[in-house]
Amino acid sequence: MTSVSVSSPPVLSKVEQAKADLCGLELAPRLEELGRQGWEALDEATLTIRLKWLGIFFRPVTPGRFMVRLRLPNGVISAEQLAVLADVIDRCGEHGSADLTTRQNIQLRGLLLEDMAPLMAALEGVGLTSRQSGHDNPRNVTGNPLAGIDPEEIVDTRPLVDAIQAALLGPAGPRNLPRKFNVAVGGAPDSFLLHNDLAFLPAHHNGALGFTVMVGGFFSAQRNELAIPLGLWLPAEQLPGFTLAVLRHYERSGNRQQRNKSRLMYLIDQLGVESYRQAVLSTWAELGGDPATAAAHDGSHLVTRAPRDGLGVQSQKQQGLHWAGLHVPMGRLDAEGMVELARLARIYGSGELRLTEAQNALIVNVPAERLEALLAEPLLQRFRPDPSPLQAEAVSCTGNAYCSFALIPTKGAAQAVLEELEQRVELPHAVRMHWTGCPNACGQPYMGQIGLMGAKARKDGEMVEAAKIFLGGSMDAEPKLAELHDKGVPLSDLPDVLEQLLVERFGARRRPMPA
Amino acid sequence: MHRLNHADAPLRLPPCGHPDRLPELQRWRRTSGWQAAGWVAAIEAGSVAVDVDVLTVLAERLDGPSALRLLRWWWQLPSPDPRWPALIGGVRDPLLAAWLRDRLASPDQSGAPEMSACLLPLLGFQRQPQDGALLARWALAPQPGAVRRAALEGLAVGLSAWPQAALANWLRRLATDHDSSLAAAAVDLLARLPAARAQLVALAGVPLDAAVEQRRQRRLAALSLPQALASSLLLVVHGRAGGVVPPELLELAAELERRRRAPVLLQALTGEPPGRPAAVGEASALPLTLVPLMLLPGGHVRHDIPAIAAHWRLQGPVRRLPFLGAWPAWQRALAAEMAELCERAAQPPAQPPPQPLLLHHPLEGPLARRFLAHLEACTGARCVPASYSDPSGEGLLSSLIPAPIAGAPAPPPLLPLALAANRLTDSLASLVGPPLLQRARFRQLLLAELEALP
Repeated sequence: MTSVSVSSPPVLSKVEQAKADLCGLELAPRLEELGRQGWEALDEATLTIRLKWLGIFFRPVTPGRFMVRLRLPNGVISAEQLAVLADVIDRCGEHGSADLTTRQNIQLRGLLLEDMAPLMAALEGVGLTSRQSGHDNPRNVTGNPLAGIDPEEIVDTRPLVDAIQAALLGPAGPRNLPRKFNVAVGGAPDSFLLHNDLAFLPAHHNGALGFTVMVGGFFSAQRNELAIPLGLWLPAEQLPGFTLAVLRHYERSGNRQQRNKSRLMYLIDQLGVESYRQAVLSTWAELGGDPATAAAHDGSHLVTRAPRDGLGVQSQKQQGLHWAGLHVPMGRLDAEGMVELARLARIYGSGELRLTEAQNALIVNVPAERLEALLAEPLLQRFRPDPSPLQAEAVSCTGNAYCSFALIPTKGAAQAVLEELEQRVELPHAVRMHWTGCPNACGQPYMGQIGLMGAKARKDGEMVEAAKIFLGGSMDAEPKLAELHDKGVPLSDLPDVLEQLLVERFGARRRPMPA
Repeated sequence: MHRLNHADAPLRLPPCGHPDRLPELQRWRRTSGWQAAGWVAAIEAGSVAVDVDVLTVLAERLDGPSALRLLRWWWQLPSPDPRWPALIGGVRDPLLAAWLRDRLASPDQSGAPEMSACLLPLLGFQRQPQDGALLARWALAPQPGAVRRAALEGLAVGLSAWPQAALANWLRRLATDHDSSLAAAAVDLLARLPAARAQLVALAGVPLDAAVEQRRQRRLAALSLPQALASSLLLVVHGRAGGVVPPELLELAAELERRRRAPVLLQALTGEPPGRPAAVGEASALPLTLVPLMLLPGGHVRHDIPAIAAHWRLQGPVRRLPFLGAWPAWQRALAAEMAELCERAAQPPAQPPPQPLLLHHPLEGPLARRFLAHLEACTGARCVPASYSDPSGEGLLSSLIPAPIAGAPAPPPLLPLALAANRLTDSLASLVGPPLLQRARFRQLLLAELEALP
């Protein structure tokens, strides 16, 4: 008798099993029923994994109060949409708030399960969606926040970003990626996007304007990489189909055995860039794409400097129109602030707002004659067009108020330290500070000129909240990740240490001490 | 490569603040095949330096008994960290609920208020219907504001689990509280109840804090905005000969239209489809919601409803709901109505109570058999077919109902599975009583459920 050896399929992890058993999108028609039935109807995998396909996040730190993450392609939102979101968190009272995220997006906090069905209907009613915004999905697609109004614009990213989102959420889009996936499109000389798994940077080829393809960028607790050239150039109209091919190939070939080695760069490492490129092109052809429209490319591009903060009143490329860039401290909004932002956008602008990766908001299309009245609005005392050079580009993760991994209350600590430093020093220019609560690096500390990461340290014999300090992150023509400078400064000592660093390395001048 | 040894892992966890601690915990988080019990024992023994980080990793593995052990351990600490219960108490478990109930048995005698404030939301999270009253007592008691708000948060996270009439009563009382943040939260919760509009309108004459009143008006305004929240409804009903719609259904549609401020259309299976009024398209950016008001999974539900949905989809997006008879709330109402009928039909003590009957239109096929068996299990009644064309004929029904002669036992409690008047309820009116929509329980339920639809 001949024995046949049959290799058994690998045992799926808890997450992979949950995804294989049921796609979270199937829960959409049941949301209303789930709201009525409550937790009784939800198993753990549905509660903590599958609901994220609808953009609904169970938060262990606030059990029973959910978060909803939207999708705002290119960070564009209308006043009408913002007002609907304001009402949603207003209903949540003291538990309700919204965060502007580093992906030009909005997260709503403090919602009950009962809120979800009416919320999803209300979102749909104003043309918004939260679909596939969490877990192993393609996240919000980002673009130039000044697209269409930017005097320095190379290409308007909005239609491209919209088309990419439509391709990814359409019937052929991925539903079960091995891990999350970030896509971005650059449209200006300051479109730094190398922290994305897939970034399209404007580039010329034989005199034609298109995009060079960069792949594999990501930050995590284990590894941080900037995206590298794939060696391909694409005309703009091919971006949606090509993106879909990249995602479908990743869905098929990515690592599902080790979640901490499953981001795209690990797959590129495994295959090598050349083989990876060929594999993606083959997938693209299988999906009906036309690889002949792609050209070999050296990866050079038109992005030459670090992102502008976009704050203050600035002239648009349209004669007589301006945008007003408002600093939203740590990206945290309440219902009242959102209602007011929406009102100002409607009254003074065209009713449109833009969100930036630095967690700020821009009111666009403001005629010159309305600027004075806009600048006199009380809300601008809170969301200032002229914040200090330290506040302007401060970025923060959510912190331990909502995330159980954060070791420090990031937003609160950052705001307190920045306010203290403003009292102590004057700076000749903005300094980009990125704050994050833990090594998962959601606040992108490696991109900051100064990066801070929550930690614990011993002080006077006691364990206290602290921050690691990273220095030297650069997003200009020669991008560089920040490197560890200090492995743990107690939060109480942080103003002193940062003051010294600002003076020594960033040209800060100490203010005279009050008499 | 670092290997994970499950047995002594808790003992090898680096202390708080050590640079290797978080990476080690992350590794554990991503590793399958280990149980929390070993860690819980080590925590109880004081062998692990506990902080939010380790509890966060453990929380994903806790079962009811482990979570209960950790909460007991926390309760006895000399300086318990108020952040921890939320992390370890996120498991629904009857024993855990009982322990929380014991700790919170009385607002006057439950020890340190700050400890109670940590546990009250967890009791709500357990969503045991009997705990709603306890949480309400805490929310209404003369306690520190933080404790009362924690109790109200308990009510919030279990909102749909509490008896709705009582809940509305508690929330209306809280809406007038002198603590304006408590009152505001109560108004927000009232706005989430199925009859939210009526609840908020009922507060109109009540003196409220100015900010709370503004909040009430904002909630009311949002509920009254059909463009934002109310889709048009298409109620598909059986109808009578010639497409005639019974008056109780016409009244239902009119009342719903008034409450929702959005179009409500009626389509009878026996008649022509109504035209799509311009208001349907104008009033709402949401899809048309198709509600099959059928009580049984017969041919109408399986064949006619999909065809009707397809017809309407040609004119715009349609969201189709399951047929009414499948709604759990409807089945609970049937069971409650039947229980009430049985209670009324008191029998002499010596006689066994007759089994109640649910009269339904004859159905065929395995799906129908499964559905009827499910209905029998839900209601405790026996499902009996009765043809609409010959309801009082010589079939099974007549054999189950004794002839009305002196000395004969009383007929069993009967309920007709007919939403509105039809030939069955017409011809057997004295025996089966009015159709369901003419009964307060079902009318109110249907109004509340349909009003609450987006």
